[in-house]
Amino acid sequence: METFGVVVIGAGPGGYPAAIRAAQLGASVALVEREYLGGTCLNWGCIPSKAFIHTSDLYAQMRSSANLGLKVEKASFDYAAMAERKEQVVRTLRNGVKQLLAANGVKVFEGTASFESRKRIVVNSKSGNTVIGAEKTIIGTGATSSMPGFLPQHERVMDSRAFLDLKSTPGRALVLGGGVIGCEFACMLAQLGVQVTIVEILEDIVALLDADVRRELRRQMEKTLGIRILTGKSLENIKADGQAVRGTVGGEVVEADLLLAALGRKPVTQELQLENAGLKTNQQGFIEVDEHARTQVATIYAIGDVTGGPQLAHAATSQGLVAAENACTRHLRKNEKCIPYCIFTSPEVGAVGLTEQEAQQQGREIKTGKFNFAALGKSLAIGHPAGFVKWVAHAKTEQLLGAQVVGVHATELIAEATTAIRAELTATELAQTIHSHPTLAEAWMEAADVLLGEPIHTIAKRPR
Amino acid sequence: MVRPITMPKLGQSEEVGTLVRWRKKVGDTVAKGDILFEIETDKAVLEVESFFEGTLLKIVVQEGTTVPISTTVGFVGDPGEAIPETAVLAPEPRRAEAPSVSKEAPRPPAPAPTRGMPEARFERPVAPGELRVVERVLPTPSVMAAPEVFRISPRAAKLARESAINPSPIVGTGPYGRIVERDVKNYLESKGYYQLRITPAAKRLAAKENIDMLSLGAEDGPGRITVASIERAIAEKPQPMSRMRQVIASRLTESFTTTPHFFVTVAVDMTELVNFRSELKAQGASYTVTDFILKAVALSLFEFPIVNSTTDGKNVRWHSKVHLGLAVNLEQGLVVPVIRDAEELSLAELHDCATELVTKARAGKLTPDEMGGSTFTISNMGMLDIENFTAIINPGESAILAVSSTLKQPVVKDDHIVVRHIMKMTLSSDHRIIDGATAAKFANAIKQKLEEISLWKRLA
Repeated sequence: METFGVVVIGAGPGGYPAAIRAAQLGASVALVEREYLGGTCLNWGCIPSKAFIHTSDLYAQMRSSANLGLKVEKASFDYAAMAERKEQVVRTLRNGVKQLLAANGVKVFEGTASFESRKRIVVNSKSGNTVIGAEKTIIGTGATSSMPGFLPQHERVMDSRAFLDLKSTPGRALVLGGGVIGCEFACMLAQLGVQVTIVEILEDIVALLDADVRRELRRQMEKTLGIRILTGKSLENIKADGQAVRGTVGGEVVEADLLLAALGRKPVTQELQLENAGLKTNQQGFIEVDEHARTQVATIYAIGDVTGGPQLAHAATSQGLVAAENACTRHLRKNEKCIPYCIFTSPEVGAVGLTEQEAQQQGREIKTGKFNFAALGKSLAIGHPAGFVKWVAHAKTEQLLGAQVVGVHATELIAEATTAIRAELTATELAQTIHSHPTLAEAWMEAADVLLGEPIHTIAKRPR
Repeated sequence: MVRPITMPKLGQSEEVGTLVRWRKKVGDTVAKGDILFEIETDKAVLEVESFFEGTLLKIVVQEGTTVPISTTVGFVGDPGEAIPETAVLAPEPRRAEAPSVSKEAPRPPAPAPTRGMPEARFERPVAPGELRVVERVLPTPSVMAAPEVFRISPRAAKLARESAINPSPIVGTGPYGRIVERDVKNYLESKGYYQLRITPAAKRLAAKENIDMLSLGAEDGPGRITVASIERAIAEKPQPMSRMRQVIASRLTESFTTTPHFFVTVAVDMTELVNFRSELKAQGASYTVTDFILKAVALSLFEFPIVNSTTDGKNVRWHSKVHLGLAVNLEQGLVVPVIRDAEELSLAELHDCATELVTKARAGKLTPDEMGGSTFTISNMGMLDIENFTAIINPGESAILAVSSTLKQPVVKDDHIVVRHIMKMTLSSDHRIIDGATAAKFANAIKQKLEEISLWKRLA
């Protein structure tokens, strides 16, 4: 039996960086993966969806470019070619991960891992079972789409992974679930001219977002993209046949060519046989970990979606590095708490730290500063005046506690706010930092000025 | 007509009272019997009712202020009536803030309590009102303090403030030892301040909360000081204890340091009494274990008068009456209500008396007079699941009985191991007047009574 210092189960964005870091720290490392290197993120999530969204975004811009002075006639797209490009991107990245792992001396096992005991792991593959020894184990098996029993099993009903394998677009699409995944795909389809209806049982889409941001996002999704958004209602009597998929929403029949179910994701633990290692999942099925990514069993760590965290690739990566360092060194590191969110809708959304509503729920005294892109030179120059940035700061010290941005390039813009919040900057420092002109990032500086009550490019509400 | 409301005298021993909270605002209508305000005495928090009706016209003594008995705290009358000129009394800021060196140092020592003849002392061996709260200053490295004569230039003070450091240890090189900006810079340099990685928000929070940057440990990594580090320092700032807690501290320290304590423990077989108690309960007579102990102690104290006596080290005084203190644990601390003339009370009367006092104690309704003058105290922690413990003698007494849980234990009886209900009791005694043998006999006298079931069949 071959024994490793660290065995990582799952080669997603949490697992493979953990394996590389553990190897960098001198451990002998095995990485077990039952499908493809890169996990959900690289193969059926972040990366492929962004490949499609980039094209759909460009296409939408081309079609609405007359006001920029462009003449684009008969713009069209080839979805099959888009799908092929996506495949290429994924293959390239997957190959890159493979090379990185090899260069760091990580031994990759193909197959499904299960615990035989706390320190023995069986890898089951087509060619049979291999038993490997593990001094320390990092579980990063991720999550998979929830497909509740009320959904008919039919080719017209699919989860995000199956959706990304489509080679053509439908005429009409029904998106069940108005969370991040549902909204991203709804926007992409709508940009490609598909008639989209979102059905969300909660009172609004993307409930975790700041209320102002949500309002702006919903307004643009409905008004600019023509997406029909039905909230506070459930989709009932779902039936699919050769012609269409149908359901009723509050008595009204809705019909489409396909139904994309985006109802959240559930942890993958079934095949692990955790009980053999003395581990249990919690009531929701997640493996609970502490702030050092440790499970209840001393030699076993868990990271990413399987731990019930924020279900973000970059959070899993950070947690994976923390787990690897804690497994291989004596110095205990804590998980990073400042985790940005990016939503690749149209408009894009970026958020980090506390929202105004969360701060109020926690009983904190806060100040906010909001700045609309409509008042920014660069926004107007590039023809994207919609959206805003917003800061949430501690009332007494003006420490920046949260930031939200909605609008073009929001997902890139949030990086500055994330650095500022993690570094515990105050609004004064942000406001005094010179921002290049003309850029969208100037909005952060302007919003900090608003928060401090001394804005230059907007009129202060209450003069001091 | 305008009537002054005064700080009431709720017990013989009370000289001052702290107004904790006003229940009425200025302008509120007040009916006779309405609760006007709450006061905290040495022993309890009490509600004070109005004897008048009208409108609360003025508040003279603000919340958190300690004033002598009979001080006017406010006025009730008809709206618009003229109020006598009175200065408003607010709490001394020192109480609320963390203690600072400069303000504590010049305090004159509290005058030694003047006392008359030794006999007079025995009237009330330790009057709680006489006790001065010993104000001890905790070491507070993280709290800024400035010495009384402290010369610092405005520029130097500004730099210290902005750096969130305490300038008082800096040696000044300016005229008359005045600290100048250069001194602060050198100090910061020598203390490694410039190697600290302080986040901007952490520095600002520290400056606002008067936390000295140089007193902190690193939290997130070598030299990094974050908001979390400052929040921890804020949480660690010494807070003044409640007056009740301070009195407990002072009384227990005095007792334990001035009275030579020694301890004897006996194990009481409670099996028969437990069964008898169940029988009584079935008949509708509900007694607590404490009731039986109170009775057994009252009886035993008569057999051992020296245990119901007190000494000042030169004289010994016997108390002809048995006033039994009963320690009651509350969330805020410990109170000891007193059952007076316990030797005259039947078991049923003891039960009623104890129940009433405990109920009042838990409701915070004990008056100071119900909490003083005990000659012996019982502390029963039976409900807290403990094997055995020792108690500190209540000032002004010579012994205290610590009663532990009644636990099922294997016991040798007639050369057989049997399961019995065993309760341990530990007597703490003042060795100046109680010898080991006396304490042993006294403890066993209580034990024998509790084990003698025929006695309880007569008394119950």
